[in-house]
Parts: sequence; C-alpha cells; structure tokens
Amino acid sequence: MTLVATPALVATTALTKRYGSAVTALDGLTVEIQPGIVGLVGSNGAGKSTLIKILLGLLDPTSGSAAVFGLDVVRKGVEIRQLVGYMPEHDCLPPDMSATDVVSHLARISGLPGTAARERTAEVLRHVGLYEERYRAIGGYSTGMRQRVKLAQALVHDPRLLFLDEPTNGLDPAGRDEMLELIHRIGTEFGIAVIVASHLLGEIERVCDYLVAIEGGKLLRSAPLGSFTERTGTLAVEVEDGQERLAERLTAAGLHAIVDGSAVLIDLVDERPYDLVRDTIAELGLPLVRLEQRRHRLEDLFRDGPDGQPANGGTPARLAPVAVAAAAGPAAAAEPAPGAEPAAAPGSGEVEG
Amino acid sequence: MTDAAGPTPLPTAVTASGRGGSIYDLGYRRYEGPRLGRAFAVRSLTIDSFRTAYGIGHGGRAKIAPVVLGALATLPAVVVLGVLTLATRLGAREQLEAATPIGYDTYYRSIDAIIALFCAAQAPELLSRDQRHGVLALYFARALRRSDYAVARISGFALALLLLLLLPVTILFFGRVLLATDVVTAIGDDLPKLPAVLAQAIVITALFGSVAMAVSAFTPRRAYATAGIIALFVLPGVIANAVIAQGSGALGIILVLLSPGTILDGTSALFFGTGLPETLFFFDLPIWTFLLSAILVTLVAVLMTIRRFVRITT
Repeated sequence: MTLVATPALVATTALTKRYGSAVTALDGLTVEIQPGIVGLVGSNGAGKSTLIKILLGLLDPTSGSAAVFGLDVVRKGVEIRQLVGYMPEHDCLPPDMSATDVVSHLARISGLPGTAARERTAEVLRHVGLYEERYRAIGGYSTGMRQRVKLAQALVHDPRLLFLDEPTNGLDPAGRDEMLELIHRIGTEFGIAVIVASHLLGEIERVCDYLVAIEGGKLLRSAPLGSFTERTGTLAVEVEDGQERLAERLTAAGLHAIVDGSAVLIDLVDERPYDLVRDTIAELGLPLVRLEQRRHRLEDLFRDGPDGQPANGGTPARLAPVAVAAAAGPAAAAEPAPGAEPAAAPGSGEVEG
Repeated sequence: MTDAAGPTPLPTAVTASGRGGSIYDLGYRRYEGPRLGRAFAVRSLTIDSFRTAYGIGHGGRAKIAPVVLGALATLPAVVVLGVLTLATRLGAREQLEAATPIGYDTYYRSIDAIIALFCAAQAPELLSRDQRHGVLALYFARALRRSDYAVARISGFALALLLLLLLPVTILFFGRVLLATDVVTAIGDDLPKLPAVLAQAIVITALFGSVAMAVSAFTPRRAYATAGIIALFVLPGVIANAVIAQGSGALGIILVLLSPGTILDGTSALFFGTGLPETLFFFDLPIWTFLLSAILVTLVAVLMTIRRFVRITT
C-alpha cells in the first residue's frame, strides 16, 4: 500500500464527455475519490460506465481532466492500466476457451510471466469460487459463473484498484449476495481499492464505505456512506396479528414505526432495531411471518430536500418522512447499542417464523 | 491494513474448524513478482494469435479447419515425394523430374486456393471473434496500446501463415535430398532455389495475411469476414479478365496490379526468373512493379487494421 499515500486515488476536474453533439454523458464532473470500497451510483445512462472508461484511458474526455494514482488518464493510460483491474458490464468472454486459459492468458497480457500467471490464475479462480468447472469451455457456464470469471480476470494481476461495472448484473438473489460478499472481501481482506458502479443502491450500500452519486453526467453527491445512513432503509416486520401493539411498543422504545397492512415498517437507522424487534415480538408472543429489509429508491436517498416524502408512487411501502420522526429518531440514532448483534444479517432477506 | 486478526489466542485447541480454518484457506496473497510490461504483453498476444490460428486452446472443433487445410497444403509435397521414391526405385528419376508439374517454383501456385481458404477461415478467428464477444474491452483495459493489439494479432497470424507455407517446402526439400544417391550434390542443387521460395512465401504471407486481417477487422461476424476475404481474393482477378477481354490494356494493368492472384504470379516470375504467365501477355511494365504493388497493398491493409482498432469503441 505504498502507492495510495499522497495523491487521491481518482480525481477529476470539470470532466466532460460528449458523444457527437447530441449526447452529453459527463457534464463538468469534478470529484475526488479516496481508497476504500466506493460505490458509483446513478440510474442507467447517468455516465457511470463512461466515467470508468475514461479513467481506464479507453475513452478520451471531450474536455476537463482526470487522474488515477495521480497519473493523467490521457497521457499515462498504459501506466494506469498496469495497476488497475476492470470488470466490464457486458459479456466479454470467448465461449470456446476455458476459464483457466482465458484468465492465465490475460494475466500474461498484464505482464505476469508464464509461471506466475498460471499460479495466480489458480489462486484467483479459487478465491472467486470456481473449482473443477474452470477447465470447461466458458460457453457452458451459467451467468453467475461468467461473472466470477470476469471478476477473476480483473483480479489476476493483483491490481491496486478495481473497477467493477454492474457486477451483479443478471445474477439471482443468492448470486448477488455471493458477489457482494466477494467484493466486500476484496476491499477489506485483499486490501484492494474498489470502485463499483451500480444502479442498485440497495446492493451497493451493503458493501461500500463511500458513495459517489451521479445523475445526467453531473455529480449529485459524494460522501461517506455513514452520512447517508439516516435514511438507508426500512425494516418490514410481518406478523400475523398484533401489528398495532407491536408498533406502539416500538414507538415507545424510541423507534419510528408505522403499520402497513400486515407489516410494521420501521425506520432503519442502525442495527439496533433488530434486537428491539426480536425482543418485543418475543415479549408480546406475536406470530412472526418474516423480517425483511426494504430498499429505498435511489431518488429518495439523494434527494436534497429536508426529507423523503413518498413523492414517487413506485414504493408504496415508503416510510413517513424522517422529519416527522425527528422527535424519536435522533434519540435512537445517537447511541448505537455497543456490541449489539443484529438478529439477522442486514438485508440478507427473511426470517421465517 | 487488513490483517487485523488480533493477537493469537493462547494455545487452546486449534482445530480444523474455527481459527484453524486458515490451514485450508491461505487467504489472498499479493503479487510481488515482476510485471513485464508492454513488450511482453505484445509477445504473449502474438504467441496466442499464432496458437489460435491453429485452434490450439480453443477446443477440438476450432482445430478442424486449420488441420485439414494444413494437411491439404502439405499433400502435394508428400505425393511428389512418394512418386519420386517410386521413380527412383525404377531408375526413372530423370524423366520424372522433367515431367512433374510441382516443383519449388510452382508449389505455391498449386496450393493457392488452400492458402486463401486458410486465410478466410482463420483470420476472422483472431479479429472478428474478439469484437463479437466483447473481449477487446479486456485487452484494452490492460497495459498495452490499441495499436499494439492490432500489431500482435497481425504478427501472430503472419507466423501461422509462414508455417503453413514453409512446412511443405521443407518436407519437399529434405525428401528430395534424402532420396538422392548423392546427398551432397543434391543439397548443392536444391539449396540455391530456396531463397526464392522463402521470398515468395513472405510475399504471400504479407499480401494474403494483411488483406485477410483488414477484412476481419471490420466485422464482428465471422461468416461475413470469410465471404469478404474470398471475394477480395477472387473478384479483382475476375474483373481484370473481363476488362482485358474487352481490350482495355491500361485499366487491365491497374487491375492486375491490384489483384492478389496476379500480383503473386508476378512476384513468382520475378523471384524464380521465369516469365509471366501467358494470360499476362499485355503487361508491359517492369516486372518488379508486382513486388512494389504487393508491398503497397500490404502497407495499406496493415494501416487500415491498426486504424480500425485505434478508433473502435468497446
């Protein structure tokens, strides 16, 4: 970790990219990104892929400048690419080659000598969870396996920085969880800086510690994940009956809870509600059906208004605005219970009762 | 950094589960070895291109076309040697040498269709498929330039084509020499003919190879590339013949200098010191213009290929 000390990992200044005269993919984007697991969020067409391609030196910016590791992307593209890995959004694997052959070939193209390329290939494929099947032709792989190979080829030369473009594309829920877990390990255990582009905020916030949101090629917000947490999610507690009683008890305990059909929706500020909900349900003896973390939509999270009124009809299960809950909210948020173990892993789905 | 495992617990039972699990999972290891950079990347990609041209590393089906075409290209040499063996046994070698239609100077003309088919079948394997499957993004995200990619692919294909061309002649040479009663004299007889063969092989490689690569560079569809390559190899000759039949000498000469088939007839005549084929009777420019034309066509095709990959979006 010698390289990341002085300059920012990534820095752009008034970065603009136009395709022809009609399409502006990036519009004067100025942002600085420090090492860590950084989520690059934005809806489709927001300019995420364009930004990554410019940082890789695959596209030239129309105007403005960008640097990775302090190296200018236009003039030092080769030097930058020596130290970064890239997992493209789209399919990019030759179907008639085996995962081992593809990854070790690409390792050599990245400058690893033959023996090292083979060793690193075996190791990296093991890390991403490909075993016997790595000798078979990729044409017969599932989407999940292909995504793993794509990730492996980005990792094989031990980059300092990894660009992942929509890494959970096309994966089923289990595959998504595994991919996110893998990304988290890469950023923490492996010690590699990661920039993950995604339009699914709910996924990205599970692994990132910093978020950069862009929309229409402009920077919407760039901040540590912690500063977003006041509105990161909703916990839906579905019980067969006794919703009112549960909501009362939870409100009394300092949470903001409202009844929504058969479920009680709780503002998820930190991990504390999990314990409280579990204990409360146990005390009341309520038949619990499921416990589920619901995701906010991207627009809700990045809206700069004082709160997130359920302005869009897309998520009927939206919580009442945080401002209303302010009386109760800060108390709950202020002191996260030390050492509290969440009853369920955040967001990992359901607890069947 | 990341190894915040904390102090190891005092010697309690270290079992296969729990902390002892690290016995099975070594964890992520950083790569501290050398990174050989651009030149090595280009070399690796060149070697990969050579292997891919023969289907190595791409499963059994990818090997069918190159292996069959390679065998067909070698077949005339083997047949000639077989007949020569027989004739030598019967003591009729002299007569046969005079009668055999396939020698060093005529070998490539006898297999030109096979060479063209090899180009049409295998050049798209290298350049069209990378575009079709999006593999270019993976190459371009690595420590090499886009032009490096094109140069490495072209070089690898050129090596593959040279092997296809030189292997049969090598077999022919060693067969002839070993069949001769006086090996030293035979070497002395045959060796002087080899530089011309080598020169012609290089020209064929450059011309056919670069044109085939240029066509493949412009389409991700293999079938289109194959059809395009064959069309470019065949059509100019056909058009030239038609024009000449109409009696237009000047236009005919230009077309003849642009048609891969007649260019090679010309360079063959130049290298082997034989006359032009009768069909080119009207050609009144110096014979080295064919070589010049071969060089120019090759340069244009290579530059087009490089330009294509410098500009392509991934």
